[in-house]
Amino acid sequence: MSATDRTAPDPAATGTDPVGDPYLRTRFTLPSRPTTFLRRRRLLDRLDQALRTPLTLVNGPAGAGKTLLVADWAAGLPSPVAWLTVEAGDQRPGVFWAYVFEALRTCGARAAEAAGAPANPGGVGHGLLAALAAELNARDRPAVLVLDEYDRVTAPEVAEQLEFVLRHAGQGLRLVLVTRTEPQLPLHRYRAAGELTEIRGAELSLTPQEADALLRLHGLRLPSHATSALVERTRGWAAGLRLSALAAQGSSDPERYLKEFEAGHSTVADFLLAEVLKGRTPQAQDLLLRVSVLDRFCPDLADALTLRKDAEPLLAELHRENAFIERLAHSWYRLHPLFREILRAHLRERLPGLEPELHLRAARWLRRSGFVAEALTQGAAGGDFDLAAGALVDDLAIGELFTGLRSDGLLQLFAGMGPEASSEASDLVRAAGALARRDLDHGLRGLRRAEQRLFDAEDRPDLAAARLSCTLLQALAARLTGCPPRAERAAAAAGQLLRDLPDRLLDEHQELTALLMTHLGSVRLWEGRYEEARTALLRGADAPGGSATVLPRTEAMGHLALADYLNGWPGRAERRARAAVSEGELAGLPGPPGAGLGRMVLAAVAVDRQELGRARSLLDETAGSPAREHDPVPTALRALAASRLLLDEDETDAAAEAAETAVPTTVASPWAQGHAAVVRSAACLAAGRPDEALRLLHVVSGEQPVCAVEAAAIQVAAGRPRAADDLLGAVRAEGRAGPAVRVGAALVRARAARDTGETDLARRLLARALLDARRERLRRPFLRAGEWIEPLLATSPLRELAEGWLLPGPPPGHGPPPGHGGQPRAVSETVPLVPVELSGRERDVLRRLARMRTTEEIAADLYVSVNTVKTHLKSAYRKLAVNRRGDAVNRARELGQL
Amino acid sequence: MRYEIRVEGHVSETLTNAFPEMEHVVMSGQTVLFGTVIDEAHLYGLLVRCQSLGLRVMEMRQLPE
Repeated sequence: MSATDRTAPDPAATGTDPVGDPYLRTRFTLPSRPTTFLRRRRLLDRLDQALRTPLTLVNGPAGAGKTLLVADWAAGLPSPVAWLTVEAGDQRPGVFWAYVFEALRTCGARAAEAAGAPANPGGVGHGLLAALAAELNARDRPAVLVLDEYDRVTAPEVAEQLEFVLRHAGQGLRLVLVTRTEPQLPLHRYRAAGELTEIRGAELSLTPQEADALLRLHGLRLPSHATSALVERTRGWAAGLRLSALAAQGSSDPERYLKEFEAGHSTVADFLLAEVLKGRTPQAQDLLLRVSVLDRFCPDLADALTLRKDAEPLLAELHRENAFIERLAHSWYRLHPLFREILRAHLRERLPGLEPELHLRAARWLRRSGFVAEALTQGAAGGDFDLAAGALVDDLAIGELFTGLRSDGLLQLFAGMGPEASSEASDLVRAAGALARRDLDHGLRGLRRAEQRLFDAEDRPDLAAARLSCTLLQALAARLTGCPPRAERAAAAAGQLLRDLPDRLLDEHQELTALLMTHLGSVRLWEGRYEEARTALLRGADAPGGSATVLPRTEAMGHLALADYLNGWPGRAERRARAAVSEGELAGLPGPPGAGLGRMVLAAVAVDRQELGRARSLLDETAGSPAREHDPVPTALRALAASRLLLDEDETDAAAEAAETAVPTTVASPWAQGHAAVVRSAACLAAGRPDEALRLLHVVSGEQPVCAVEAAAIQVAAGRPRAADDLLGAVRAEGRAGPAVRVGAALVRARAARDTGETDLARRLLARALLDARRERLRRPFLRAGEWIEPLLATSPLRELAEGWLLPGPPPGHGPPPGHGGQPRAVSETVPLVPVELSGRERDVLRRLARMRTTEEIAADLYVSVNTVKTHLKSAYRKLAVNRRGDAVNRARELGQL
Repeated sequence: MRYEIRVEGHVSETLTNAFPEMEHVVMSGQTVLFGTVIDEAHLYGLLVRCQSLGLRVMEMRQLPE
C-alpha cells in the first residue's frame, strides 16, 4: 500500500483543502482515543454545559489531557462538530479563517456551495465574516467549533474576528477553545453574562480516584496511599501519571519504583520520559527520536527517516500503549506536543548533527508522495533550498508566490535562501521573490540569469515546468517595465510549453495561467491594443474559482473596466470595476494593484459624473497601496483620475503636475500620454495660454477616443474648429467608441455650429448629447463646456432634457413633480444626481462674497491674484447655474454648500 | 538584562540543552536557569519553551547587572 492510498480522503470529507493539500485533512479530524484513555464523567458533565454558553475555555498546561477530553466529548455530540488543530503557520488571519471555513464545511455545518473564502493570507474581508455569522445564526441547532491548540494563535486581530463572529452568530455557534494560555478575548464580559464555560488546570488535574483508575488501565494496582502520593508528586498532571504508569510497567517492582520516583527531585516529564524511552527497544527509541522533527508522519515516512522497514508495527504498538503518540486519520500519527519537544532535546544529544539530514529525508519522501507544501517546509528546515525550490517549480506552484493563501508563507520560507542555492529553480524563485517585492533591479537580473540557463540549454522534457515558470516571470517583468514585445515572446513560449505539461498539474495551478494572461493583458492595454488586451484579460477574469485565482481575477476585471472607460463606456466600466472591488473585498484582499485598479476606475467614472467628493475618497483609499509602485497601468490610471479631479477643483497647476506619471517604461502608452496632454492643455487654456494648450495636443490621436474628443473640445474653444473636426473624424473611424465619446463629440460639434450661427443644428446636437449623457449621468462634459452652453440649455426642449440631473429641476422622465405624492422614491433617488460640489477654494471665495467683500479684497485675503478669484467665481457660477454674485451666494446656501 | 528562571525539580542535562543560551545550576529541588536575555521577546520565548517542555516555572526575576 502506498502512502498516498492511506491518506485518501474520507468519502464524507471530499472537496479541496483550502491550501490544496490532502495531508492537512488530518487537522480537521477528531484525534482518536487510545485504549488506555480514561473517560472522566465529571468533566464531560461540565463540558455538556458548553452547549448552553457561546464560549467554552479548556485551559491547562501541556499534557493535562485537554485535547483527548474534548475529542471524547465531541465524538458523542449529535450536533455537527467542526474540529481544527491550529498550527503555527495559521497566525495570519486569512489562513486561519480559510481553515475555519473548511473545518465548518467538512463537518457539514456549512453548505458545500456556501459563498466565499479568504484568499489573502494577511486579512479576511469583514463582509465574509458577517456572512458566516449570519449563516450560523440561521441554524436550528448550534454548530460546535473546536479550536485545539489555540495558544498558537497570537495575532490580536484573529481574536477580535472570532469575537465578532461569535457575537453575531447568536445561538448558531458554540466555540470551544482548547489552549495552554489565556486567549485574548474579553473573558470577563462573557463570565459576567454567564456566557462562559471554563475548565481550567485545577479541574483537569486527576483526583486520586481517577489516578487509580488510570493506573488500572495500565495494569497497575497500587495501595491508595501510594496513589495519593503519586498524585501529589505529579500534582495530578495527566501526562505525568501516564508516564509514571508506563515507566513502572517496565520495572520488576512497580510499587517500589514509583516510591523512589516520588522521593526524587527530578522534573516529572523530563525524568519519566527518559525512563520510558529507556524501556523501549532500540528500534522504537530510534524511531521516536527521529520522527520528532515532523509535525505528522505515517509509517512509510517514518521508514524514510529510519532507513528501516519496521515503522508500521512499531507505531501501532506505541499507539496501543499510549506511549507518546496520537493517532490521526488514515494511519497518520503525531507525537504528543509535549513529548515531541523533549524527544527533540534527546535527538540533539544522542544523534548530534542528524537533524538537517532527517529534514531532507522527509522532504524527499514528501515530494515523492505529492505533499509539496510540507516538502518545501522540510527542505528549507534542512537547509537545502535547491530541493525546496525544485519542488515548488516542478509542481508549477511558482504562481503561489504571488497570489493565494500561501504567498506570505512561501516568501518567508524562501527569504532564508542563501547564495549557495544555485539550481535553475532557485534562480527562478529568487527572481520571483524580488519581483513580488517590486525590487526590479534584482528581479530582472535574476530573471536574465534564469533565462540564459533554461533556454540556452538543450531541450529536455524535465525543463518544461521551469521554463513555463520562467515565462510567467517574463510576462510580469514585461508588465512592470511596460515592454510589449517581451510579453508577447513570453506568451508565445508559454503557449508551446503548456502543451508539454500534464493537464493535472495545470488544473491544480490555475493561478499560473490566470496570472500570465493578466500580465499579458496589462501590457497590451498599456500599449493601447484594446482588443488583444481584452482577449487575454478575459482569460484571466474567467479563471476558475479558488482562493489562488482571486487576485489575478480581480486584476483582470479591473483592467477590463479600464479598457471600457478609455473607450467611453463609463457605465460598463463601473459595473466591472464594482465586481472587481467587491470580489477582492470579500476575499480580504488588501489594496493591491488589482482591487486598487477597480477603485481608481470608479474614481475616474465619478469625476465624469462630477461626484467629486466620492472620487476623492475613492482615490484616497487607493493611495496607500504599496504594490502600485513600478506598475505602469495603475500608476497611469491614478494620475489620470487624480489630475482630472484636480482640474475640476480648479487646482490647475496641481492638475498639470499630477498628470505626469513617473514610472519608467520601455514603450510609452498612447492613452496615458493622451490624457496627460489633455489635462495639461486644459490647464494652459485656463491660465490663458491657448497656443501652448494647442501645442500640447499634438500627441493625441483618434485611436484614444475619450481623450480625442476632449482634445477637440479644447481646439474648438481655442478657435480651431477645423483641427477639432479632423480629430473627430479620426475617432469616428475607430468605431468602438461608447456613449461618453458620442456625448463629447456632439458637444464639440454643437459649439462649432453655434460659433458659425447654426443655432438649430447646435440645439439638435445638444439634445442628442443630453439624451446619451443622461443615461450615464455624465455631467462633466457639459459643466466644462464653457459659458456658451448655458443660454442654449435654458431654452426648451433642452431645458427639460437637462433638468433633474444636470440642471436643478424635476427629475427626468415621467410622474408628477415632488411634493404631489406619486413616486417619492424615484424622486429621492434622483436628488443625489444633482449634487453641486464646490471646491474648497470656490467656497472660500463665495463665503467672502457673502460678506460683501470686493474681488480685490478677497484676492488679498486669500493671497491669490484677482484673476484667480475671477476664475474661481466663474467656475462657481457655472456649477451653480447662475450669472450674478447675489444669486451665487443664495444658490450655494440653498444647496447647503455654504 | 540578566534574568534567572527557577523551575521545579532537577532538570536533566539533556533538557537543559534546550536552553543553550542559559547557564544552569541544580539546587534544593529546583533548577535555576540564568543568563543574559536579549529583549522581551526572548524572555517570553524562554517562558514558552519552559511550558512546551512541561517545566513548572516557580520564579523569574531580573538580576542586578
